[in-house]
Amino acid sequence: MSERDPRLRLRIGAPGPGPGAGGDRDPERAAIAMARIAIVATVVVGQLWALTVALNAYFEERLATVWWLFAFQCVSFLLALGVWLIVPDDR
Amino acid sequence: MASPARTPPTDGPFERIRSDAPVTRRDYLRILVTISGGLVVGAGAVAIGVFPRRTGSGGDVRIAEGIAPGETVTFTYPGPDDRAIALRLPGGGLVGYSSICTHLACGVLWEERDEALVCPCHEGRFSAATGAVLAGPPPRPLPVIDLEERDDGVYAVGARVR
Repeated sequence: MSERDPRLRLRIGAPGPGPGAGGDRDPERAAIAMARIAIVATVVVGQLWALTVALNAYFEERLATVWWLFAFQCVSFLLALGVWLIVPDDR
Repeated sequence: MASPARTPPTDGPFERIRSDAPVTRRDYLRILVTISGGLVVGAGAVAIGVFPRRTGSGGDVRIAEGIAPGETVTFTYPGPDDRAIALRLPGGGLVGYSSICTHLACGVLWEERDEALVCPCHEGRFSAATGAVLAGPPPRPLPVIDLEERDDGVYAVGARVR
């Protein structure tokens, strides 16, 4: 890693603050990235809930519910995949 | 001999470690999508029945010659690893349940004073008369083991959800 690596907030041995706000050449990109993470994280939380309900339904022999929840999981995954793939040059 | 001066912790390498994000936002997104895919696989495993349900018929299995009021008998049914308990209630009823707690699979114990089956791990309590959850974290009732009293003893004949 060179001293000019943009991930270094502080130049080694240099006093003063780092680049700070405005250093990002494309600030909207960061907001979009955070939004995508928020959406996919919400989807994953929903999937965790669905898996819990599906396990309970399975042990109570409510198999129709189990299959509906499996379909829900598939749709959720496709949504997460879509959010990941929607920006081809940023993944 | 003087010891060499120690490098202050805020110098070079420390700054490099602190300023390098070990996981970038792109990585977070990739990890979350991978977890999402893993959950689909898990849900598929549930749907196709990978996990044993401990119900169904294991044939007619003689479990005891007789059970006196307040007495319990432990056995396995329907499979060899499916622990179960049969008990004669003080009122005379004969009941049988899977003795595997529906919370985290600890073994439940008969508590005659309250006529309850109690899981000692997290204090789950089940009704001895019905197998229903009375208290604690178990999400489901205990599966029921159907019992029959015959001339030569007590038989387990089936296991089902309540």
